[in-house]
Amino acid sequence: MKGSNGAGGRERVIRFALFAMASISIFSVLLILLFIFKESLPAIRSQGFTLLTTNWSPNVSDPSAGSYGMLAFLNGTILTTLGGMALGAPLGVGTAVFIIQIAPERIEGILRRGIEMLAGIPSVIIGWFGLTLLVPYIARVTGTSGYGILAASIVLAVMVLPTVVVLSMEALKSLPHELEEASLAMGATRWQTIRHALLPAARRGILVAVILGMGRAIGETMAVQMVVGNARQLAFSLTERTSTLTSRIITDMGESTGVFRSALFAQGLVLLLLVMLLILGVKLVSRDKKVK
Amino acid sequence: MVDETPIDDTKTRISEYSRRCADSFTRETRMEEPTKESEPRITTDSLSMSYGEFKALEDITVQVPRRSITAIIGPSGCGKSSLLRCFNRMNDLVEGCRVTGEVKLDGEDIYAPGYDVIQLRRTVGMVFQRPNPFPKTVYDNVAYGPRLSGVKDKERLNRVVEESLKKAALWEEVKGKLKGSAMNLSGGQQQRLCIARVLAVEPEVILLDEPCSALDPVATQRVEDLLAELKERYTMVIVTHNMQQAARVSDFTAFVMIENQGEPGKVVEFGDTNHMFTNPVDERTERYITGRFG
Amino acid sequence: MKPKTADRIATIVFWLLGGITVGVLLFIILQIFGRGLLTALNPKFLLGKPEAMKEGGGIFPMIISSLYLTGLTLLIALPVSLGAAIYLAEYSREGRVTGAIRFCVDSLAGLPSIVFGIFGMTLFVIYFGWGYSLIAGAFTCAILNLPTLMRSSEESIRSVPGTYREASFSLGATRWTTVRQVVLPSATPGILAGTMLTIGRILGESAAIVYTAGLFVRKAPTSPMDTAAPLASYIWYAQTEALIPDFRRVVDGGAAFLLLLVLLMNFLARRLARYYQRKKLAGGADG
Repeated sequence: MKGSNGAGGRERVIRFALFAMASISIFSVLLILLFIFKESLPAIRSQGFTLLTTNWSPNVSDPSAGSYGMLAFLNGTILTTLGGMALGAPLGVGTAVFIIQIAPERIEGILRRGIEMLAGIPSVIIGWFGLTLLVPYIARVTGTSGYGILAASIVLAVMVLPTVVVLSMEALKSLPHELEEASLAMGATRWQTIRHALLPAARRGILVAVILGMGRAIGETMAVQMVVGNARQLAFSLTERTSTLTSRIITDMGESTGVFRSALFAQGLVLLLLVMLLILGVKLVSRDKKVK
Repeated sequence: MVDETPIDDTKTRISEYSRRCADSFTRETRMEEPTKESEPRITTDSLSMSYGEFKALEDITVQVPRRSITAIIGPSGCGKSSLLRCFNRMNDLVEGCRVTGEVKLDGEDIYAPGYDVIQLRRTVGMVFQRPNPFPKTVYDNVAYGPRLSGVKDKERLNRVVEESLKKAALWEEVKGKLKGSAMNLSGGQQQRLCIARVLAVEPEVILLDEPCSALDPVATQRVEDLLAELKERYTMVIVTHNMQQAARVSDFTAFVMIENQGEPGKVVEFGDTNHMFTNPVDERTERYITGRFG
Repeated sequence: MKPKTADRIATIVFWLLGGITVGVLLFIILQIFGRGLLTALNPKFLLGKPEAMKEGGGIFPMIISSLYLTGLTLLIALPVSLGAAIYLAEYSREGRVTGAIRFCVDSLAGLPSIVFGIFGMTLFVIYFGWGYSLIAGAFTCAILNLPTLMRSSEESIRSVPGTYREASFSLGATRWTTVRQVVLPSATPGILAGTMLTIGRILGESAAIVYTAGLFVRKAPTSPMDTAAPLASYIWYAQTEALIPDFRRVVDGGAAFLLLLVLLMNFLARRLARYYQRKKLAGGADG
């Protein structure tokens, strides 16, 4: 009796220790939220709604004298993300369909490995590639500096490709084989089967793939910073230099103090909220699936 | 789909339905004019099939008569389903699958180069082992085939959906929930929906691959009744592992088996079902049938 | 349009899309290797000291920084994520707390690394007063990679057949004994595969590192409290500041070497995963 009690006691201790390790993730999220919020408070207090304007004129020697509107960079983040998804999502979903449905089985494995490889390439390397090849190319073709939303969108498209391809592939793979058979047996062509039976059935999974890809694009820092031009201006043209929230943070964080630094944290907070919104979206989309 | 005259609703519907049935009947016979009613619909001549190195079927020669149900029976793994899938070339989807010999539909070799597989699969419909409705509404499931061939007209789609569901003896059960998900139907209803989905393409032949193996006895009964009705107008081939079912529903039976493990499946006996079940010619057939019945 | 014509066009389009993806991948990899591999494999470059203002510098301290940072990060992240994975796979019941843990893991996995970077800078570099140091970078990187490590470990643990556990329980073993003696050994290759992938990610990480571990040093760090310059952040620094005249050569070489390391880790991870799968299949055939 006593022996089993001892073992039970030990079990309880171990259980608690393991639980503590599992809850570190909760603490981490709370700590991150807390710190980013706390650090951005001074800027929110002193700047107020100015933060949501396009007026960005930091003052390095006297930070509190500057103005720190982030709208231009939020605009940059949104435009580059949309641009990246406009290129990356169709390419990614199309590639997933190609790998699952059309490519001969022999090369399926090679393609899958290639996609995993692409996912592993560090973002500084993709950025360096964009900086040395893509930007000069765009500059030559358009007669501009080459930096800007277009270059960032292309780089982002490459960066979200693995996420979109892999998750879309999973969504397509999880469909029962019978679905495809039923459609083909009715005389549907392969394209009709893909278009009318497979894609609709996998649409939630593909939506999740695109949303998660978007999350990556919003948060991507180094690669974007290297090609977006980092101008502190609002830009709508594809080849005008501008900044994103992430590129601004990484560029200015080193030499900022006081309200200037706090304003960068406020940008981080906006970034965080955007991404949290997407994660919530994914939760909603995949929860609906379970009910149905 | 909404009828304005509620009083004689059922009557007009029934009479209209029978008229339409008659219509489609004459249309079908007219289409078949070139070939004689007595000629078999599907014939195979020394058909062999292999998956890569493995030979699944060898030297199959059978003739499937029209407007009848032909059952393919045999022990599991003998190649029954493979044989069935030769008839609409679903085997094409399996990589490394090779077919030699002849399969003719109305006298035309369906494995001839350049043969239109898409058209073949519209003429030869298929119902699978497990009900496999699309995760769409009941309506969209049935309308799937017609829409593929470009039918966009709402009226016409409504008509096809209703007719097909009626032919599949499912209309009464689902007419109120056409816009509901097909996944919410019971297994038996789903299978009949799959049959309706095939009927909407207006096939001439229907292949059924153990259509009742995932259903309970009551649902099985309903599907079997339906097959007996459809026999009047379609040529059907059913693969079943259930002897009683073969005896109950089929007019002709092919018994496929593998002599020794690793060898390809062969047709041991083919003929009239009643005759085969009461008086099998081959002793292996007798052993199999009596073993299963005993 | 006839369905068959549409089918043919669609097939061509899908081949094109697949081709573009593969083409982009090949182009990037060939470019990076083509431009930098010669430099990268030159011992003088690999083992040389970096220059701050003039040309001819190497990347030795950066390689050491990267390896050091990776080691420290795993030292922190591996026990925690393994413990958490064991808890989730073997101990927890699906409930509100478990749901909260999963939601937080998903959130962590989705957060941009720059957010971890500025968080790590505030908490570890400034608040704890560790300064730009390996240890600050390692803690930041550990939190960043917690979700990946946890998920892959949990998956490996879950894929251990339930019959193993039943056998162990039926012999009177406690849950912890069962986990330690039966479950973990069977899950090890899968956990290792996940670890290799994480190593690849740590090596390539830069946004979370530059303001926690640092981005330029002259000599290799020795103590965890030393400032470091992991290869990825040095690459970014070298091209952004462009203080050295031959920064192109250094960045090309550094990028090629970094890519080589990362691909090697991915290759090892895949090898392990395949080995694991084969073993599992063999186990399945026995049972």
